[in-house]
Parts: sequence; C-alpha cells; structure tokens
Amino acid sequence: MDHLDALENESIFIIREAYRKFHKIGMLWSVGKDSTTLLWLVRKAFFGRVPFPVIYIDTGLHFKEMYEFRDWCVKKWNLNLIISKNYEEAEKLGIGPKDKLKCCTIRKTEALKKTIEEHKFDALLLGIRRDEHGVRAKERVFSPRNKDFYWDYKNQPPELWDQFKTQKESEQHIRVHPLLHWTELDIWKYIKREKLPVNPLYFAKNGKRYRSLGCMPCTKPIDSNAKTVDEIIEEIKTSKIAERSGRAQDKEEAHAMQKLRALGYM
Amino acid sequence: MERLKIVIVGHVDHGKSTLIGRLFYDTDSLPESKIKEIKEVCEALGKEIEFGYVLDYLEEERKQGVTIDTTQSFFKTQKREYAIIDAPGHVEFLKNMITGASQAEAAILIVDAKEGIKEQTRRHAYILSMLGLKQVIVVINKMDLVDYSKERFQEVKKELLEFLKTISIEPKYIIPISAKNGDFIAKKSENLSWYDGPTVLEALDSFEKIKELDEKPFRLPVQDVYNFDKRVIVGRIASGVISKGDEIKIYPSGEVTKIKSVEKYGREIDKASAGESIGLTTEDKVFVDRGDIISKKDEKQPIVTKEINAHIFWMDKEPYKEGERLLFKCATQEVMCEMKIKRVIDSATLETLDKKIIENRNVADVVIKTEKPVVVESFNEIPPLGRFVLQRQDTCAGGIITGDGCDNNSN
Amino acid sequence: MAVIIIAIDALEYNLVEEFDCKNLKQEVYGKTDISEFSQPRTMVLWSSFLTGKNKEKEILSLGDKEMWHYRVNVNETFVSKFKNPKVIDLPGFSYDLEQHDKERILLKKFFEEEDKEKIKEEYNKLALEHHKKIKKEFEKALKENHDLIIAYFSVVDVIGHLNFGNKTLMKILYKEMDEIARKARELGKTVLVISDHGMKAIGKFGDHSDYGFWSLNRKIDLGKPKLTEFKDIILKKLKEDN
Repeated sequence: MDHLDALENESIFIIREAYRKFHKIGMLWSVGKDSTTLLWLVRKAFFGRVPFPVIYIDTGLHFKEMYEFRDWCVKKWNLNLIISKNYEEAEKLGIGPKDKLKCCTIRKTEALKKTIEEHKFDALLLGIRRDEHGVRAKERVFSPRNKDFYWDYKNQPPELWDQFKTQKESEQHIRVHPLLHWTELDIWKYIKREKLPVNPLYFAKNGKRYRSLGCMPCTKPIDSNAKTVDEIIEEIKTSKIAERSGRAQDKEEAHAMQKLRALGYM
Repeated sequence: MERLKIVIVGHVDHGKSTLIGRLFYDTDSLPESKIKEIKEVCEALGKEIEFGYVLDYLEEERKQGVTIDTTQSFFKTQKREYAIIDAPGHVEFLKNMITGASQAEAAILIVDAKEGIKEQTRRHAYILSMLGLKQVIVVINKMDLVDYSKERFQEVKKELLEFLKTISIEPKYIIPISAKNGDFIAKKSENLSWYDGPTVLEALDSFEKIKELDEKPFRLPVQDVYNFDKRVIVGRIASGVISKGDEIKIYPSGEVTKIKSVEKYGREIDKASAGESIGLTTEDKVFVDRGDIISKKDEKQPIVTKEINAHIFWMDKEPYKEGERLLFKCATQEVMCEMKIKRVIDSATLETLDKKIIENRNVADVVIKTEKPVVVESFNEIPPLGRFVLQRQDTCAGGIITGDGCDNNSN
Repeated sequence: MAVIIIAIDALEYNLVEEFDCKNLKQEVYGKTDISEFSQPRTMVLWSSFLTGKNKEKEILSLGDKEMWHYRVNVNETFVSKFKNPKVIDLPGFSYDLEQHDKERILLKKFFEEEDKEKIKEEYNKLALEHHKKIKKEFEKALKENHDLIIAYFSVVDVIGHLNFGNKTLMKILYKEMDEIARKARELGKTVLVISDHGMKAIGKFGDHSDYGFWSLNRKIDLGKPKLTEFKDIILKKLKEDN
C-alpha cells in the first residue's frame, strides 16, 4: 500500500464512522481542491453516492468560476446542495471586505450558524488539513465545538488509535476532519491519480494562478506558470511560500492594520 | 516515496526539540521560508546563522502552541520520508502526547546523559509499551555535558535496560548523541569514537513499515451495513487477507457464509488486506451489524469473552472506583463494562500503590467485565483487536489486552 | 563628562528582561510612564521627551501625513543646553525624512498589496541597511569630542511591526542593540538608554505598548518617570553632576 492508498483508506474509515455515529450529518464544500477531494472520498465510501447534504457557504463575493464548477458537480454527482448564506444581511448593514473581520463573521460564520440551526446538524465533515495553518496542528479528527463554534483546544479529549469522540454533548456539534493527515502535495497527487475535476482557477493564466479559493476581494493569485496538475505538483515540491499566503483575510493582519492606522502609520 | 511516522518522547528538557531541530537541520529539511527571515537578518547584521537560532525558532513555535506544523515536520533520508508526530513532553499535555504517539510506527525515547531516568521517561516509556510500539530507539543525549564519557553512557544504558525490561520494551538501538553538537544524529563523530553503532538516521532507516498484520488471521470489525442498491457490509480490515469465495464466520452470532464479492467503489477486487476500507457482499443473507467481527472459517478463531485481563492507562481527573460502569470500545464494538482492580501503579515511579482507586495518570492491571460477550485478541497477537478505550462522556482510559489471555474463553 | 543617550524606538521592557540584555539594563532600569498621551505615537513621544512638554495636541493637529515631518524648536529642547551635541536621526529633530517615509510606504504596501513576502523582505532590508548606517555614525561620534550624543535606533520598531511574533528574529535584534549599548558603556560616560514606548504582539505583528523603557549606568533610581520628566533629569542630574 503506498501512502496515498493508506490516506484514502483511513479517510474512508473516518467518513463511515461519522455517517454511522451521527444522526444528522452534512459536509462543507467550498468547491476548492480539498473539499472536492473530500467529496470524492465520500462518494467512494458510499459506493458512488453522497448520502447527506453538501453545504456551500455563499458569501456573495465568490468567483463566477466557483459557482459554475459547483453547479456542474451538483449535476454530475447528483448532490443534495444546501446554500448557506447571509450576505443579504451583510449588504443591508453595509458590511463589506473593507472591514475583513466583520465581513468574514457575518458572511461566513453567521451564515453557517444559521444553517446548522435550521437543519439541526450534529456533525459536519470538513476538508481541513493539519499542514494548512499553524493552529490546525492541534486539531483532532473528531473535534467538538460549542454553539458559538468555540474550540477548547487546550482541553480536548484524547484520541487513541481509531477511537474518536462520537458522543456529543447537547449544544455541541462535532467537526469531523477526514483529511487531517493529508498535505497539500498529497491532495494534488491524489487529484492526479484519481483524475478529479479541478476548478480552472487553480491553473495559471497570464502568469498567475490561485492556490486556494475564497472571496474575490480577499483572495489573490500567486505568480505561477503551472497550467496542469503535473506542473502544480512540481511547483509545490519546490515552492517556499505558505499556501494561504494568497488569502488576505488573516484576522491578525486586519487587527494589526487597524492599530497601525490609529498610530498614524497608514 | 514511503513515509514512516515517528514520535519522539522523553522527559521535559532532555532535548526533544533540539533533536528535532537537528534532524531537520542535518537532513536539509527545514523549508527555506521558515528561516529565511532569520537568515536575512543575520546576513544584514554580519552574523553567522547558527543552529541555535534555528532551534530558537522551532522552540518558539512550540511555545506559541503551534508546535512544528506538519508540513515542516517531514524530513527525508535516502531511504524514505519521516513524519514527526507532535508529542508534547509536559505532563499537562499527556492526553495530546498519547494521541500523537498512538499514530506512530516507531519511537525515539530521549534521555539526558547527566540526569538519567526521570518521571516522564518512565511514563512515556510505559505509554510506548502500552501503545505496542516495538520499533524503539533510545538516545542518550547531552553526551557533551558528560565529556562524552563511555562509563557514564554504560551506566545510564544499564539502568535504562533494567527499567525497560520491566515494561517489556526491547529497544533496537541505544545511541549516545549530542543533539546540540550533532554527534551521531546524521554523522558519526570523533567525540564518540568508542561507540561503533549506527547514527540515529541509520537506525531509523533500518526500521520497516509494519506489514505483519497481513500475515495474521483475518478480522474485519463491521463498521456498517449499507443497503443502497444491494446489501454491502463495510469496514476496515484489522488483520489478514480476504478474497472472493472465502468462507467466513460472523461473531457473535456464529453464522457462516461465503464471500460473493470484495468491493471498493467502482470496482470489484480479487482480494484485500489489513488496513483497507472495503465492502463485502455475501452468498447468503446473514444477520450482521456494526460491532460484529468477521473471521475466516479456516483460520484461527478469535476469543469471545465477558472477562478480559488488561493493562490500562487512566487519563481522567475523576478517579475510577470499582462499581462504576464505563463504555468499553474495541474496534467497532461498544459495550458497557465494570472493572475489577488488581493492581494500581504510579506511572512516574512505576511503584505499586496500595489502593483500590485508579487516579489520573495511574496505570492499572484490571479485569474488565463486559455486560455482553465481546470478540477480542491478545494485543501481541492482533493489535487492532487487542486495544481498547474506556469512556465516560469522553475517553478516560486506554488499554491493551494482556498476553496471558482472557478468562472464560467461551469460544 | 559627556552624556550618551541611546534612543531605541519600541524597546520593550519585557523582552529586555526575557532575553536578559545586560547592557541594555545597565545598573538601574525600569518602565517609563506615558499614560498622559492618548496613543503611543512615535513623533509625539520623542518631541515630548526632547522638550519636556506634552506635544500631543500640537502634533496631532498636523494630521497623520504631516506629523511625520514635524520639527521641534531647538531652543525648547535640552539639546540646546549642550555645547557640542550630536543628534543622529532623532524624530522631531534630525530625523531622516526620506528614509522613514520609505519605511512607512512599504508598511502600507504590505497590508494593501498581494506579494507580501517580497514586500516584507524589502522592508526588513531597508530597515537593516539604515540601521547599519546609523550604527556606523554612532560609533564614529563616540570617538569624537561631544558633550552629548543622541543616537536614535528605529530597527526594533520598524522590523517589529511586521515580525514581533517572530521572537527569534526579535532576539537577534535585541542582542544587536545590547552590543551597541555595551560599546557606549565601555567609554565610561553617562549612558541613558530610553525608548518612546514598548511593543506587544498581535499574532505575528507588533503594536505599541503603553509604557517605555529606561536604564542608566549610574545608581540613580528614577522609579517610573514620565517621559516628559527626562529633560529635567538630564539637565539637572546627568549633566550637572558630570
């Protein structure tokens, strides 16, 4: 078994555990490469089906290619799509990307809260990876959140072998992370092996490509000439820049900028 | 390329992060971007970039709770890629340490040459033993602080071997090193000319990916049964190999049938082996559900019992007293149980404690009495069916089923 | 006989302690009180330090853009009481406008543009190059015959704004500043190390903290002095008993 097989088998096991253990389950699908890989693994786990809703958080600020890709997949794979949105509220209050913190909260977090409330989800599958961001190195495969999405990472239950936290307390929902042990490179190698569809935004056009997808105002392309999956794999192998560097939505950054403005620097 | 997951454990301040830093540094595996700024600043100020700064940086990430994120924690040798699993050394993070270590395929136990065996050395070693890690390297670090003394090395080695024997760990190598100076990590060194064993990297490269589970009797803990367009039994193979046409026996019902197909999405496959997540269809309609264990009829059969001898490691602030009911989870089986306490041990000293309650970070020999029969194995035989967790609201203990078998073997 | 003032922008008391910079700490050290100011703004603080007067209102009335170009009236400052002073790059006095404008432009660019790593690299480099220049000027001044030297080092602040969370980097810079203080102390003159404010982390970034740092190579305990009290301290305690 090579290590992509090992990862695949492990992820399928986790997906099946979540499906069996929770009453009402859904998965977050951003149409990006990670959550689309997750979607593919779900289809493998259930022999071609996706037996639960797939949630797309629409911030109203996504690229048109994302909506197109979404609708194409929904049709091709016969998905039960839930569109989670709160952007009308954001627009009513005049909250936009100028205030990144507020904008993310109202368009994403609040939207998802509403959707969880409405559909009474007790578990959500997410395509996060441990190597994505520093703090995620502390994540568990099954990770409880309270209703305000608070993650008490210092006091998490232990997770031994394949035994996960499958009993949730009331008011909690469990986030399930079947891709936790994958790396960005693993994802692209798997996409290549499985011939997965890829959003065209990932491929270079005029010397630029997107390395991760998000809202238009806050997602910036990187310099790249990688026009195929093979070229992307080569690029990542030699790249020295962190994956999320293309996303300007870092909360710290917004906070730091606010402070510098107060001090007269901006 | 193959990837082996390793965990580095040991007492706080015995040099874990220095060793990790050294492994990255000496194998040229530190992503440039991580130390780029430090390098540039050093250059601009006309200073040499030292290993110490690299180390500072890694330790700082650790302190900020970031540890070393997983992208960074890969290092490569000629033979393969290694992933270092985060296993914090501080006693408060024991639950995280155990979570990390339970994913590892090999371990390095680090001991300070000057200080010798300390509290976390014992506790961590015990956890390695409990987790069944067989591929263990012991490194005796900070040899530079004892003048690279062969006598001191022998002394600590002797003390360690005696201790490790009591918890059934046989280290494959015991290597004197100085992580700070880089002695015997990636290269041999004149400082330790009296030592003729391998370096840490050579020792790691001599390890194998664990494959032996394929050669054990077949066990499939049933995870679920799907009825999408046909009835498919799904699960991840704990051990052995299964093929189309094999005769199987389902526990606890004892029903027997034949495998009609072994399936993965989109394809029927001829056979599947340990670690694979598969689907099975059977010739006859059998009653089967999550928690059942499937074996092959012509192989050694599992143990079915309501009484299990086990070692457990307690990790809940609320102690255990006899009479409390807990949830026993082994593979996909879940059943309520009670425990009879035979012996309680302090994991820091490994001394037997004269008491009948099991407290946080205690180790105990117990007899687990389940309310319904369970299908298990001795940990040494088939680890996935020989290890279990005990649960209240959250997991409060982990354990292994000891070699001397189980009482009431009702098979 | 002479007074040397090492003016370090954003030198943080807690980090001096943590990295145990013995030369920055000198014989006595402590925090300064800047609570009379609404925000720890660089230009306001240094101008107030020089004149012994709270210059906040005057400077703020200039607006964010113009305030960086503010100059105090020399006669208002303690510098005017010395015969042969040397003031290197001090905000509100002999500040290198072009250099520090450039830094702020890059800082702004970092937050607004996409190629952050590249901008940061350029920004750090600019600050370090300037630092080397100032260090050289300072070392030269130490050999000359001045009765007052004030050298302003901005590198800890400038680099800190984008890198304060990178402690290793900060440690290297603090050690560098410690080395500079050591050189000044070796000459046996009166040495005052002073900062306008300190710094605290916002993740990997740095924000001004609301106290400064002072230290002296003389056993004069100042307690927690206001930044505006230093004019008197310098003229009455440090200058006269020379």
